[in-house]
Amino acid sequence: MTDPSLPGSTSAGEGLAPRPGLAALFSGMLQVALSAFGGGLSAWSQRIVVEQRRWMTNEQFLTGLTVARLFPGPNQINMAVYIGAEFRGLTGALVAMAGMLLVPFSLLMALGFLYFQVHELPAVDRVLAGVVAAAAGMALSMGFKILDQYWKDPVALVLAGAVLLALSVFHARLVPVVLISGPLAMAWYWPRPARRAP
Amino acid sequence: MPALWVAAACTPASLSDLSRLLQVIGQFLSLSLFSLGGGNTLLAEYHQLAVDQYCWLSARQFADLYALAEAAPGPSSMIVGLLGLGAAWREGPGWALLSACAAELAILLPSTLVMVLACLSWKRLAQSPLRVALSGPWVPSPSASCSLWASRSCAVLTRMARECWCPAWCAC
Repeated sequence: MTDPSLPGSTSAGEGLAPRPGLAALFSGMLQVALSAFGGGLSAWSQRIVVEQRRWMTNEQFLTGLTVARLFPGPNQINMAVYIGAEFRGLTGALVAMAGMLLVPFSLLMALGFLYFQVHELPAVDRVLAGVVAAAAGMALSMGFKILDQYWKDPVALVLAGAVLLALSVFHARLVPVVLISGPLAMAWYWPRPARRAP
Repeated sequence: MPALWVAAACTPASLSDLSRLLQVIGQFLSLSLFSLGGGNTLLAEYHQLAVDQYCWLSARQFADLYALAEAAPGPSSMIVGLLGLGAAWREGPGWALLSACAAELAILLPSTLVMVLACLSWKRLAQSPLRVALSGPWVPSPSASCSLWASRSCAVLTRMARECWCPAWCAC
């Protein structure tokens, strides 16, 4: 899917490795998926894709991450699709996604089978309760990190507060809330000639 | 409406019948495009479906599966596969595995399709003014999804705390 006539698509930055093939894409994404336990995948993916394998510059990676976050779907899987498509088009996207998912999913299924067989054991329950606490802490820290970026923006805060109220106090369902709050936010932040949103 | 019915009697919805399975797959397919902003935006929605509406899992089991998905390597969004596994566990391991794969594929397919199309055309549009115009309106969506995400995770956490941890601690 690359067009060699475009100047941007062929000029590799200095110090970058040659474009990865399909096997390299698979193993790279597998490496990312296996090295990250309990979230924090973006940091690992950056370390592997940018620093170890030198497929992309840091700027290219961050652009990809932004695109991956803007579109619906899990960020890490979107990121794999982005990286695969960047180098090998549609096939690359599918192979990168398979690398990200195939082995971890099989592992998770094995764990799931084990869980449904033995979850009555109290020791397993205790361990899992500890993991839930850790995972919840990580999720909260992520929330605060996002909040930090929008702290100076009253509109975002009001919107966040309204959505929080709707979902947790009034128990509204996610889909209608997104359908209402999404367009509202887009209308407010739509670039206007007079007042430019930061 | 379903909540009232559930409160009265919660019987696990069986997945052994094909039309029921397709209906559930359809539900996951349509949720896929609402997983905005990363993190597990849909976690509370999964909780609603798996625990309250279909009664496949207890709240405690849901929390355990969440912990498993977070602790295991790989994207934690694979919790959907575990939910599918739990949903059809009564039907036998083979059916459970099928249901797990179906759930995971259903939740990933639409969003991945959109992402693939976006990436391929994004690249082709590299030089065009259309791309510049497109990246403007998309800027706000992180703020919308940030609020969604934060509120959603708080909701799930308080709920899990109420339903799972408190009884566990009181029992100790």
